[in-house]
Amino acid sequence: MQIYFERSGGFAGMRVSTTIDTAALDAEETGELQKLIDTANFFALPALITTTSPAGVDQFQYKVTIEAEGRQHTVETGDAGAPDTLLPLLQKLTRLARAKPGS
Amino acid sequence: MMTGRHPIQCIVPPHMLEEIAERGNTEQQRMALNTLSVSDAFRAQRLEAAEFAPLVTAEQVAGKDRIVYDAEQTSDLDRRKVRGEGDPPTDDPAADEAYDGAGATYDLYKDIYDRESIDNNGLRLISTVHYQKGYDNAFWNGEQMTYGDGDEDLPPEDRLFNRFTIALDIVGHELTHGVTQFEAKLVYRSQSGALNESFSDVFGSLVKQRVLGQTAAAADWIIGAGLFTENVNGEGIRSMKAPGTAYDDPVLGQDPQPAHMRDYKNVITDNGGVHINSGIPNHAFYVVARDIGGHAWEKAGRIWYITLRDKLSAQSDFQAAARLTFEAAGELFGAGSLEQQAVKAGWAEVGLGVDQPDSPGQDTGCLDMVMSPFRAMFRPTTSGR
Repeated sequence: MQIYFERSGGFAGMRVSTTIDTAALDAEETGELQKLIDTANFFALPALITTTSPAGVDQFQYKVTIEAEGRQHTVETGDAGAPDTLLPLLQKLTRLARAKPGS
Repeated sequence: MMTGRHPIQCIVPPHMLEEIAERGNTEQQRMALNTLSVSDAFRAQRLEAAEFAPLVTAEQVAGKDRIVYDAEQTSDLDRRKVRGEGDPPTDDPAADEAYDGAGATYDLYKDIYDRESIDNNGLRLISTVHYQKGYDNAFWNGEQMTYGDGDEDLPPEDRLFNRFTIALDIVGHELTHGVTQFEAKLVYRSQSGALNESFSDVFGSLVKQRVLGQTAAAADWIIGAGLFTENVNGEGIRSMKAPGTAYDDPVLGQDPQPAHMRDYKNVITDNGGVHINSGIPNHAFYVVARDIGGHAWEKAGRIWYITLRDKLSAQSDFQAAARLTFEAAGELFGAGSLEQQAVKAGWAEVGLGVDQPDSPGQDTGCLDMVMSPFRAMFRPTTSGR
């Protein structure tokens, strides 16, 4: 499974991104990611989830692409529009991206 | 976080709705305004839930009215109330900084510009601190301010950000997004979005300068001083005095802000670089304030405030801001006055004239190119501001 993650915007306007190939991860980490992807029902999410508030500013924008078992899906969302079920995945990917800045 | 709203809001991006509301035919405008106003209804519900009577008038709510919630590291914005107006300090620096910062921002707008809170109608100033875990950001969600604790979830040696209430100008920045929302309504994309950001930096910095009693010459003009941990090589997030020099760090890279139109950055992310290209109008303001001298909030700040309140509109670009601040300076201080000349000099330093016609269509980035066929459907009139 390949995961491409990008977070941009926010008050500081700094972009962080990471590419994850689960073949390089241990089984426990891969299992955790898979669980978060399942919780989010990621492959059923709309490609673009926009915020509902006309004035939501300084929020992060996230772009997540996952390639697994022959299918690929990309979801773009902001902080305010993100479904509660997707948040844990976004937070996990943010931690991974910050641990490997610039990768 | 915000689930259960009408699906149409999740389909049409807010900035397009705003454009439709401004430019569409009568029926299109009615539909767009109807959709946009749902968020106002949510605000009314929130106020009601907080036992704050909805539909109150300015007379009933005049005065400072702050409330601070602790999200306790969740996304629940009103999870626990920790401080209301007039309550004594808590033992939580984040809650007290949010409270005091909202007060200092209210005071600048009230004492100097005679504005009664964000909406000039006494709107309650709501803040939530300790939002989520490892949330290195602060934002205005259209209704309130929200602050994260930085990257407190990382080991100390990896942390880059402190709590986001730590810099007073960040609090002023977020509240000013509220003011812009009620006044010029600058669309949060490309140049109008970068102007929206710049006005927040300008008044955020002025809140701090006023509390410190600093003149334009004495101020550091840094946005977010103290926000970086000692692991970062940087003074803060942005420099209005010297955009592009706020930080230069092996992990975070270099401050990408331009200080001149020739270095304007066309990017897709960050809503078309709203936090990047804001360096250009930020620097123009700095030069104006430096040239006028004294306390920046008194004259330069007043020119910018009147322009935001009375002159700019949702689609305004940098050129429009240059022309209209020049116009405002003439009205406030006289045509050809030193103040008006300073405004001209400030914009000249970033590569903009004050007597140029506004751009026929501001550059709007790739996303807008994709959307332009849809926009054309809703735009019966010619473009421009």
